Amino acid sequence: MILDLHAHSIKSDDGRAKVQNYCQWIKTRNIAIDGFVLTEHRQFDDESDYSQLAQKHGLTILKGAEVETEYGHVLVFGVTQALQEAFDFSDIHLPLAKVLAACETHNAVAVPCHPGRKRVGMAAHLDEFGIPAGVRIVEVFNGGSRGDEDAVAHALAEEQSYMGIGGSDAHIVSHIGRCATEFPQQINNETELVAALQEGNFHALKLNQEA
Amino acid sequence: MSINTLDDVEFGENLPAFQPDTSLANVKRFAVAAGWNTPRFTDHEAARREGLPGALVPGIMSQGFLSAMIHRWAPSAEVRLVDTIFRAPCVVDETYHINGVVTDIDEEAGEVEIDLTVTNDAQETRVFGTAKVLIQGTD
Repeated sequence: MILDLHAHSIKSDDGRAKVQNYCQWIKTRNIAIDGFVLTEHRQFDDESDYSQLAQKHGLTILKGAEVETEYGHVLVFGVTQALQEAFDFSDIHLPLAKVLAACETHNAVAVPCHPGRKRVGMAAHLDEFGIPAGVRIVEVFNGGSRGDEDAVAHALAEEQSYMGIGGSDAHIVSHIGRCATEFPQQINNETELVAALQEGNFHALKLNQEA
Repeated sequence: MSINTLDDVEFGENLPAFQPDTSLANVKRFAVAAGWNTPRFTDHEAARREGLPGALVPGIMSQGFLSAMIHRWAPSAEVRLVDTIFRAPCVVDETYHINGVVTDIDEEAGEVEIDLTVTNDAQETRVFGTAKVLIQGTD
């Protein structure tokens, strides 16, 4: 199963895509993904229920979040009410250690995203803060990467023996599915996604798309 | 094909992409006309002294290129919104591509939503956003 693990909808301040249009785009353009995870900036979208939309289009639509730490941005999968109470998702100065510890306690997974990016990526902060303890997975393919950002991410992953995921980081409809993550098993919900990430049997993909 | 009515528009349809003239001479002409005649847009060396990678293509010039693409595609379209997010600078004298694709059609309102991007030769997105345009239905 192939999931795009990093996408934003109009729920994010810089997101311009409606979820139904993501679905329509994936089907119309035959994008080779089976679903995607909405990782809205600095929040978890408790309100939206995309189950009917997912069923209509035969896609898996899951929800996560993208939070901000001193090491840059971090995707969080397996968000629960208890996890939301463990730290303030809207805080732009979260300590990464706190996010990782809370995820460990509440059976969630934290993944630093676009780690090769200036300012908002983990590699940019290693000189100042050192290698953080507890990171197991980083995003090695990001659809919005420029220059050598993905190469930096891959080098970091190799050096630190991190596992790698892929996500499009789509903010507009036509960018969904540019990068993704392949799992050997079917994933139907956030709990199964967390289990699959913890199991470690997955790999990141960069998908070519027709213009 | 030129779009005349909403019935001509298809979801997923690409707008006619083009390579804009981002030469220093053209950007200078635009900057003067727009009243933005400052060295960061018209002088590579002065821009570099400000810590920029070179003279920049003004954001409103990129929006102008995007709007021009829409009107080449649908000459009678009423552009209601060009909402852009500038992810990385567009540097004068470098090559860029202006792209658009239809990502939503509201037949009742006669409104079409278009994904907009400005990309470079490495296919990196420098600017992205959406436009909302009104296109008349069949009479």
